[in-house]
Amino acid sequence: MASGRPDVPLQAEDIGKSFVSDNGEELEIIRSVSFALARGEIVSLVGPSGCGKTTLLNLLCRLLEPTHGAVFWKGEEVTTVPAGIGYMLQKDLLLPWRTAIQNVMLGLQVKGGARSRHRERANALLEQLGLEGFGDHYPSTLSGGMRQRVALARTLAPEPEVLLFDEPFSALDFQTKILIERDTLRLVRELQRSLLLITHDVEEAVSLSDRVIVLSRRPCTIVSEHRIDLPGDRSNLIALRESKGFAHYVRQIWTELDIR
Amino acid sequence: MKILACQILCFALFIALWQWQTMAGHISAFLYGSPAGIVAALVATVRDGSLWTDLATTALETLAGFALGNVIGTTLGLSLWYSRFVSQVLQPFILALGSIPIIALAPITIIWFGTGFASKVAMSTLSVVVVSIVIAYKGALGVDPDQINLMLSLRARRPQIFRLLVVPASMTDIFAGLKLTVGFALVGAIVGEFMSSTNGLGHEIFKSGSLYAISSVFAELVVTVVLALALSGIVTRVERLLLPWRHDLS
Repeated sequence: MASGRPDVPLQAEDIGKSFVSDNGEELEIIRSVSFALARGEIVSLVGPSGCGKTTLLNLLCRLLEPTHGAVFWKGEEVTTVPAGIGYMLQKDLLLPWRTAIQNVMLGLQVKGGARSRHRERANALLEQLGLEGFGDHYPSTLSGGMRQRVALARTLAPEPEVLLFDEPFSALDFQTKILIERDTLRLVRELQRSLLLITHDVEEAVSLSDRVIVLSRRPCTIVSEHRIDLPGDRSNLIALRESKGFAHYVRQIWTELDIR
Repeated sequence: MKILACQILCFALFIALWQWQTMAGHISAFLYGSPAGIVAALVATVRDGSLWTDLATTALETLAGFALGNVIGTTLGLSLWYSRFVSQVLQPFILALGSIPIIALAPITIIWFGTGFASKVAMSTLSVVVVSIVIAYKGALGVDPDQINLMLSLRARRPQIFRLLVVPASMTDIFAGLKLTVGFALVGAIVGEFMSSTNGLGHEIFKSGSLYAISSVFAELVVTVVLALALSGIVTRVERLLLPWRHDLS
């Protein structure tokens, strides 16, 4: 396992993770997962609840150290968080003492540089996400959907090449979710970013992704992989759900998910 | 509004009953004081100006101790976030220091800092500092680990995480600590004045008590209560000013 492919932004080679519990028992969460995320590709990982999806995500961005295996960033093995990762969770994790725009500027501020530039970029993103005029609002005054949009803007602000999303839309109501998914999709495609989406929502995975990877229950391995090939406009998420192929993929993945 | 009316009524009734009973001779004004006596004592201290010097002395001691104790305590408490190892090593010492009744430290502070302003500030600081350390450290530890992961994913270094996340996230706890310790600082200053002093509210209370001037004791107590309320009022104001995002405060 010398090196990865330099043309692939993010690649996992046989990564696994075990924890040792307090009573000395070894608990294997991830057995072995290998895959590559190509440039501009949207891939979903779906698995039954509690299969270790979040652990897997933390391994991929090297917030956690794998027990075995390696993570490659453009062909180089990484041991800390690689530059160019955007990370988004179900919780929006907005800092309550910062206004919306200050939250969007957080990653830029960490990177350093001119503040006026940061503000410009943050303003542009807020506008693109339909939040113009809300920049000076504190998170506590925004709705759940708006907060998640601010979080999305914060994630996109440092211009990450790879986005790692852990069920970021699952707490939203269906309507809000479809709208924010559509905007995310548009931005990701436009900016040629790669997106890895971890979700338990099969329909969400099929509607958004180029590829869906199905995970087993714990200890987690890859069960199967589906290339999603749907006709028509991929950005029309409602129409997509009604197309014939869509139901086929969803049914197929459901049976493989092994939900008892 | 109704609550306030009832509160005022209760207070007025109590004062009236007290005054009536002392005037009727049922309770001794010498032992228990009387509202009229308290007012007279207050007026006398205002006339000769001693009220203001005593009030200013105690207020300054309290504020100095409060500021010093909280600056030291908060700085220490927050920096303990940096090293779990250091914080675990220090834990028993902090607990031991916290368990000492502050009044027991009074003789030492007088030997070290003299009988003037400095020893009262020292007493006041000591009353504040341990609580302040514990609260700031608890606040720093309470930061959501997901939020720290988010900062790490943005490739923030530890000092950045400290400055951009841990310090502001601890502010809610720190302000709760300020509200608590402003009272402790006052207690420390008054205790210090009890031990040895030439002026201050504690000094006057102690002196009037020794002279059986009960109405004067009550008069000084009233001033002390007003001082305590004013100080905690200031802290609440400052909190509202500095944490504008806390909409639940206003």
